Amino acid sequence: MSEVGGGESGYDLEPFAPEKERAVVMRAVGLTKTYAAVSGAAGRGDVELFRGLDLTVHAGEMVAIVGESGAGKSSLLHLLAALDRPTAGEVWFGKQRLSGFTERDAAEFRNRRVGYVWQFHYLLPEFTALENVAMPLLARGMGRGAALAKARVWLGEVGLLDREDHRSGELSGGEQQRVSLARALVTEPQMLLADEPTGDLDGKTAEVVFGLIQKLHREHGLTSVLVTHNLEFAGRCDRMLRLRDGQLV
Amino acid sequence: MRFELFIAMRYLRAKRRQAVVGVITAISVIGVAAGVASLIIALAITNGMRRDLQERLVGSTAHVELMRVKGDGIRDWRALLERLRGVPQVTAAAPGLYGQVLISRGARSGGALIKGVIPKDEKTVGDLLQSVVDGSADALEPVASGRAAVVETHVPEAGHGAAKSSKGAEEQQISELGEQDVRQDAAVDAQAQAEAARVLGAVAAVPPIVIGKDLAETIGAGVGDTVLVTSPQGELTPLGLVPRYQRFSVVGIFKSGFYQYDSSYAFMRLTDAQRLFHEPDLISVISFKVDDLYHADRVGVAIEQAAGAGFQTTNWMEQNRELFRALKLEQVVTFIVLALIVCVAALNILIALTMMVMEKTRDIAVLMSFGVRAEQVRRIFLLQGLLISVIGTVLGLVVGYGLSWAGGHYQFIKLDAAVYSIDHLPFAPKFVDALIVTAVSLGVSLVATLYPSGSAAKVLPAEALRYE
Repeated sequence: MSEVGGGESGYDLEPFAPEKERAVVMRAVGLTKTYAAVSGAAGRGDVELFRGLDLTVHAGEMVAIVGESGAGKSSLLHLLAALDRPTAGEVWFGKQRLSGFTERDAAEFRNRRVGYVWQFHYLLPEFTALENVAMPLLARGMGRGAALAKARVWLGEVGLLDREDHRSGELSGGEQQRVSLARALVTEPQMLLADEPTGDLDGKTAEVVFGLIQKLHREHGLTSVLVTHNLEFAGRCDRMLRLRDGQLV
Repeated sequence: MRFELFIAMRYLRAKRRQAVVGVITAISVIGVAAGVASLIIALAITNGMRRDLQERLVGSTAHVELMRVKGDGIRDWRALLERLRGVPQVTAAAPGLYGQVLISRGARSGGALIKGVIPKDEKTVGDLLQSVVDGSADALEPVASGRAAVVETHVPEAGHGAAKSSKGAEEQQISELGEQDVRQDAAVDAQAQAEAARVLGAVAAVPPIVIGKDLAETIGAGVGDTVLVTSPQGELTPLGLVPRYQRFSVVGIFKSGFYQYDSSYAFMRLTDAQRLFHEPDLISVISFKVDDLYHADRVGVAIEQAAGAGFQTTNWMEQNRELFRALKLEQVVTFIVLALIVCVAALNILIALTMMVMEKTRDIAVLMSFGVRAEQVRRIFLLQGLLISVIGTVLGLVVGYGLSWAGGHYQFIKLDAAVYSIDHLPFAPKFVDALIVTAVSLGVSLVATLYPSGSAAKVLPAEALRYE
């Protein structure tokens, strides 16, 4: 616990330390992520996405992260969701240090603490909308009846109760993304991570989905981090951060 | 596990984005089914052949035979026989006198092993006398009890035999014993006396013999023909060593289906054999049937102990060890060869699953993104491979057992009875074979799923979805 990557910031590592008026839910300290150069280009060296990046997210906050394509926004979100490991630095979720996770811990974390929405809906095509929503609950061993009942509630929250028996191929783009939002939230996570959730949708549909995220964020007291290209949506968040030259500003 | 099974079953049922994966899955199922069905059928046939062979072999011969270690024959055998009948697990015992002879008819001749028997006893330890296909073994009965049968069934042959035997006067003398029996009996049955005397006089004049079908063909003898039996144990005469010979009338021809017996065995009355070999009241062997033929070796030891010093036993397992070893080897080789079909089917499972893992990489990453563990992903594909295998195996068992049952019941695969001594292919499916085949099928399939399921578990969600 003592070694802290990129500790130049001298961050206070006590999680949930009262800072301003709200508790800290997530804190990234000195995050560095580099990728080995692909296609064997000798001498090109590694690609560095960000170095010594810090981020603090408070409870109930809705943070937007904007930035150019390829700036590493998605990679940052992967690190926050324990889908990937940083090259250096630490991510803390409450008192949990994500880089100390085993594979099992990381799976548990993703199943119970965070909900993840991708740019593309990524619904499983073999399953109905309802089954897709229930999937995270089934994965943790919840009984089928209970899982489906809870999934139905969340399908109702995104306004798609009448579509529960439809497969993803039978849903429109907006509906697919709403189902995937329900799937992210059915586990009642503390935090919602969304990677350009409206990026694939046309203006009107995007508005509907973003409005829904805002509504659920409010109603369920979520803490949310959204990556988006849409500056208008970003402006409607509590805080907007720009990822530029490997740093959040 | 419920979750993994839920996903695996849905993946198996669902339409594939790449049709070829579905086709290969179907081929995998059919392949496993074909392999399992072939194994079941082949094992049923080898079991059937083995069982049929064993039944006929064990039926034809005694389970245990007792003889002198020195080969000097058993004297005072009646008391010994009665004593040994009391040995536990012995169900029947019969005396016999073996002797090597030459049987000839005209210019044709063949070597034979004569067994002198008491038919009513011999029938309790061996089926050969019941396997008479031409004529009847009844004439071997001591004439006191077998007379009626002789009169009724062998009148034409007897007449035929009488014509031939009337040539030699010496033959009349040879069967005094039979004649005595006849006289006693004829006194009881006064009405048939004249007729019986005429027929039996002729029959009894030439003692009866029952020979194997192949031997009969070799020497060209049929029922009613007279054959010359020559014993190599000659008599010393002023002219030197002269072989002993005697005429016998063929009253029956047996066919056991075993060339070994059909080509060289012949039965005669014990008294006739003793006279032929000049061994008054001596037998060479006591044959036994036991209640559990697989315990023949143990019962054999008990019989040896009960018989006392100087005796030894052999049993049907020892006598046919090479035969059954060869049958077992054949079965093992058949199993290995046909198990290769299952291996090829397992290769299909490997290909189907590998392609499915490639197709599903994105879905695997998504599953992991909401908390499905790597080991759960591994189990999903492991189960999927096993589902293919289980469906194929069950299908194969049903088809295999169905065909085996139908084959045994309707006997639709005919064989040439003259060649195989059975007119249809026997099927004897065994439960234990199903267990072994199922274990092999599932085991091989499980091995085939290890690689694809392992590579599915290694998917890194961030990597898999980065370039989507």
